[in-house]
Amino acid sequence: MFQLRKVFQILPGKTKTTLSMKPDEKDIKLLKFISQVAAGFTLIVAFTMLFSLIQLKTIDPLDNPIVASVKEQYDRDPSDAMLAEQVRAVDLMARRAYFSSRWQVETGSYLLLAGAVVFIICQRLIAGSRKTAPVKPGEKPDLPRQNRFVINGLMVTGTLLFAAALISSFAMRGILPDTLNDRRLAGGEEKERVRSRRTGSTEAFMADPTNYPFFRGQDGRGIAGGEGYPTEWDGAEGKNIKWKTMIPKMGKSSPVIWGDKIFVTGAEGKECEVYCIDKKTGEIVWTVLAYDIPGEPDIIPEMDYDAGMAVSTVATNGTEVCAVFANGNLICTDTDGRIKWSKNIGLPENIYGYSSSLIIYDDVLIVQFDSDEKISLMGFDVKSGALKWETPRQGYPSWASPVIASFNGQPHVLINSNPYVTGYDPVTGAQLWAVEAMYGDVAPSCAVNSSMVYAVTDYAKLAAIRPGEGASIVWEDNTFTPDVSSPVANEEFLFIVTGYGDVACYNAQNGDTLWTRMLNEPFYASPIIADNMVYILDRSGVMHIVRASADYQLISRSPIGERADCTPAFSDREIYIRARENLYCISESE
Amino acid sequence: MVLYAQERFPRPEFETDYTYPEYQLPTARGLAWEYTDTAVLIVVLSITTWLALKKRSRQGLLWMSLFSLAYFGFFREGCICSIGSVQNVSLALFNSTYTIPLTALLFFIIPLIYAIFYGRVFCAGVCPLGAIQELTGIWPQKLPRKVEAILATIPFIYLALAVLFSATESQFIICRYDPFVGIFRLDAPYTMIIFGALLILAGIFINRPYCRFLCPYGVLLNITSRFATKHLSITPAECINCRLCEDACPYNAIIPSDKEIAVEEPSVVRRKFVMYLVLIPVIAAAGAIALYSLSPVLSGANYDVKLAREIRLEIDEGIPAVSNAAVAFKGSGRTDDQLFADEVETIKRYRKATPWTGLFLGLSLGIGLFSLTVRRERTEYRPDQGRCFSCGRCFRYCPVKPKQP
Repeated sequence: MFQLRKVFQILPGKTKTTLSMKPDEKDIKLLKFISQVAAGFTLIVAFTMLFSLIQLKTIDPLDNPIVASVKEQYDRDPSDAMLAEQVRAVDLMARRAYFSSRWQVETGSYLLLAGAVVFIICQRLIAGSRKTAPVKPGEKPDLPRQNRFVINGLMVTGTLLFAAALISSFAMRGILPDTLNDRRLAGGEEKERVRSRRTGSTEAFMADPTNYPFFRGQDGRGIAGGEGYPTEWDGAEGKNIKWKTMIPKMGKSSPVIWGDKIFVTGAEGKECEVYCIDKKTGEIVWTVLAYDIPGEPDIIPEMDYDAGMAVSTVATNGTEVCAVFANGNLICTDTDGRIKWSKNIGLPENIYGYSSSLIIYDDVLIVQFDSDEKISLMGFDVKSGALKWETPRQGYPSWASPVIASFNGQPHVLINSNPYVTGYDPVTGAQLWAVEAMYGDVAPSCAVNSSMVYAVTDYAKLAAIRPGEGASIVWEDNTFTPDVSSPVANEEFLFIVTGYGDVACYNAQNGDTLWTRMLNEPFYASPIIADNMVYILDRSGVMHIVRASADYQLISRSPIGERADCTPAFSDREIYIRARENLYCISESE
Repeated sequence: MVLYAQERFPRPEFETDYTYPEYQLPTARGLAWEYTDTAVLIVVLSITTWLALKKRSRQGLLWMSLFSLAYFGFFREGCICSIGSVQNVSLALFNSTYTIPLTALLFFIIPLIYAIFYGRVFCAGVCPLGAIQELTGIWPQKLPRKVEAILATIPFIYLALAVLFSATESQFIICRYDPFVGIFRLDAPYTMIIFGALLILAGIFINRPYCRFLCPYGVLLNITSRFATKHLSITPAECINCRLCEDACPYNAIIPSDKEIAVEEPSVVRRKFVMYLVLIPVIAAAGAIALYSLSPVLSGANYDVKLAREIRLEIDEGIPAVSNAAVAFKGSGRTDDQLFADEVETIKRYRKATPWTGLFLGLSLGIGLFSLTVRRERTEYRPDQGRCFSCGRCFRYCPVKPKQP
């Protein structure tokens, strides 16, 4: 048997020293045999891998026609449990086939390498054993002649390359832009872009410490004013719970606050109601019935199973309190509960039910109306209810809510929808700009800071948009995309919480992911930045409070004791959380 | 920054209490590893230099190749490597916004410093790409010098394009078309694996095909090692002109002694000398013109330009733009005009850069031709310092024994 000692003597490099170290003929035969086996093995593995690679190219679980066909059947009849089971089975099968092919390729690569190494070692040994001593060459090389050949060869090659370069540059002129014209255009465009970069608003946003008038607070930005908010409480034990009040009718609308009054809505069946709650005691001060309004449809629109008709959050300006419901009932009262006007704006029927919240800019009540029939943005006179303007929008229904921001002195209403993220003038309703950025079902509202608008939705992407004329996407990412909750941004950071339980912090300016955490519970409520902390309420009712900073610093986790999907409100060092049944006031002064 | 990370597929939706695993973002390479890589590079370069120059051990060089292949190749998965660092350096030189990682800079500079003093010892036993080819080069066959010379122009072109593309923020083609990194990582597009496998198969007979006919870093090593004062020598003492080493080098990197060699008439030599000297600026200018005229074509390597062409075809010819880039562009909100304006800007950058690229290529060719006309007296067989990989194959062909101290 060939000895290992010989391998080390021969491999690598000692082959020439003595003949006695050479493997003998028998060893060579054995080496040849091993080499042939290794070559055969390597080839078989290579072909198997090639087959698996082709399979990987062709078997894409997402495009699998069987999965698509079964899914299509299921979409036609979602109540069929058998079909649902079938979808799962074929989906699993397709994924298994894909990953099995991947496993084959991964394992094959190790086998291929092993086979090749054995082959090479054997070949080296065989080659080493056959080398003979160098012999004196014949005639001395004719260097000048060789150099002439080399020079000629290089000259011909150089000339051919030069000609090929000229010919191809001439032949490919057709695909080039008219650079002279485009250069002029480019100059103009560039100047325009530079100009638009300079026009980013620097207007400081200062949130009010007391009034929290809309969904996600002032201007719908998700930023609370004031400081000293509680960080620790326990709803079940009553720790730091100032009061809790059961809301008579269910709803997903979030609380809003003006002065000492909190406003929320509720609905059961067709009975829609607006509640005013005393901020100090939690007592319901008044209830306004918002049904049997002229024009109200007889049917109750189909809603998501646990949403109900009171999903949209109230808007108030301290004088008027406006609420809208999923049947199109729009009502406006004063802060004492006297109805000022009411109307039905049409049934905003869509697949999940109407959910956009109201917002007020000066004396314009802005309503985002999204139904399968039409999508538009409406501006009503908040005093009289008269329609001031209505701007039809393009695209598909959205479940997001309007946000107000100002860039370069121009007030904007920002709408996140499929496919456009759009800025409108809140005074006239005129569209200011639009960027095609989203697709699929859009529920998260925009986040804003002084220079950027952030839009996101699940299965699409997160897009940071420079607003204004020539608005464009500055950076984008699709790693963390919420399905319901809205992002929130300040000048430095952008925070995202998702329906999978992820929390992500981005650099708001360049999109670098600064930190991420999987907090395990999904999020529907939108995160709020208050006193340099981010309050993130998960669906189980636990508030995760983290520092609004470039690294993850958990401050506390505080449970409210009930499931919770509504976005909390912040006012005068107190936090208000609407849970599944109760509204809680959290205060550390108690 | 645009981050295009995404899940391979949408995650299955579970109705049970299944908890999705936490996202695992790849962490940055630890600083300790960067220092380790640099330290290993210096140590291996030093040992290789000692083995090649002092110990004159081909076997030792092969063991170093094996180590480098294992460490820089399979363990560190071919990254970072000196060859690719060329791109980081050119990107840093021409873009003030890019900060080059210190390791990349060191991996670029250190082998060149060694080359200036000791020749291409980096190729001999440190470069994992060289190592895999050296170890699999079993049945070496020499190519005719003419073919060798023509093919040797490719690395110059490759280097010029790599610098051009990285300086214009278009592509890192050296990394993208690295034939061996897929083998080191056991994962790559199968076209690259096939390319790598073919190179290795070809390398069994035509040793080190990548080093000789593709490696862009080899061009820099070629230039710097010409200045090496302590280069490896074929003979450990005085050359006796026995000619035994004449065919020893499969890379045609041995310059023979010109004793007893027919020489051309001095007047012919002088005429050629002057002619090729005058030709240098002419060829350099031709290179600059050729590359300048190619600039719009070359700019197609830039993703914006490529995308703009696809979109323009859709607008002008009605050919649907269906590439991933086109689909992403359509969903991005960026307008066609912006894209076309960016395209023109990129072409303008190319127009500025390509004449210099062409000048470099033309000068390289012109100087190469000129150097062939220069006759120097040589009384010994010695390595061509530019092309010699310091692999030590020639050692055993020399019957001269080292001088005893």
